[in-house]
Amino acid sequence: MTFLAGTPGTSPLTPICGDGYLNLQIIKFYYCSFTLDTLVSSGLAILVTLGLSFFIASRLKPGVPSKLQMVLEFLVSYARELIGDTVGHDSGFILPIAATVGLYIFVANWLDFFPLGFTPLLKPANSDLNQTLAMALVVFVIVEGYAIKVRGLGGYLKHFMRPPFPPLTIIEELVKPVTLSLRLFGNIFAGLLMVYLITLIPQAFAWTTPLSAGALVLWKAFDVFFVGTIQAFIFMLLTIIYFGQAREGLEEEMHGAQPSRSAGAEPATAAAIHH
Amino acid sequence: MNHAIAVAGALIGAGLALGGGAIGAAVGDGLAGNATIAGVSRQPEAQGRLQVIMFLIIGLVEAMYFINLALGFYFITAVANGVQ
Repeated sequence: MTFLAGTPGTSPLTPICGDGYLNLQIIKFYYCSFTLDTLVSSGLAILVTLGLSFFIASRLKPGVPSKLQMVLEFLVSYARELIGDTVGHDSGFILPIAATVGLYIFVANWLDFFPLGFTPLLKPANSDLNQTLAMALVVFVIVEGYAIKVRGLGGYLKHFMRPPFPPLTIIEELVKPVTLSLRLFGNIFAGLLMVYLITLIPQAFAWTTPLSAGALVLWKAFDVFFVGTIQAFIFMLLTIIYFGQAREGLEEEMHGAQPSRSAGAEPATAAAIHH
Repeated sequence: MNHAIAVAGALIGAGLALGGGAIGAAVGDGLAGNATIAGVSRQPEAQGRLQVIMFLIIGLVEAMYFINLALGFYFITAVANGVQ
């Protein structure tokens, strides 16, 4: 029994009656093609994220929080502390973006632990480059818009004239969404590929069938709980760091209206004061 | 004939990408672990925070390996299958 219809990344054609073929994975519509399994999986992840968040938000009461509420509060407070450390300002704008992206990627990765192989329509949502590239491009556009808003258009263009001069600084800026998307895609896709390979082992060595089931569970546990969590956290952290880089170097230009944090201040005490 | 050459080339390319990525990822992880162990030995009460930073750096370093893996797999399936 194999858990994947075909090599991940390729889309097998499912034969239907007669000579017809139904391609369950890709729907082609003029020049666009939609990968159906990514749409279904990411839709499921969106529904779970929204349902979880609104459920917790509707049951907030002062006093002893429930365990799920403590997890979400930990996430939000950790993100707020990170924003206070790296950026220091505008946390009302950055916090929803960073925390939502982190929570959504976390939920989308953890949904992979369930046995999704019974239908070709479900797979870990981030194992498609379309999905991660969409998120990375949205973050990139928002970060550049934020940089233009904070520095002004002239200051934003002048910021590209810093030491490794223009071709390198422009490349450095353009590479950010590329690595952001490819990192998440590569990690989750490699997990999916390993699942496929582990299910291929019993076809070569028939005596390893019970072992490969155990190896599958172990690999999925490692991939979902360790790699999935860390990649969600890294995506959120890098989003916050890119916001911080967008307003980097502005502190010495501001003429004393706000007490600016010097670069050498300890982050812990500064974060405590910011709260 | 061309297809065989393309598949062979794609397999060699994927192997090189995986090999180079594995070496780089292993060296990077080792350096991160080295710095963490040195920091913990100097200041044992910072172990919790240093471990968090170590896992973060490991996640960033392994990203290069996984990007190589995804690209190598893309070479084999998409590029080699595109050549007749």
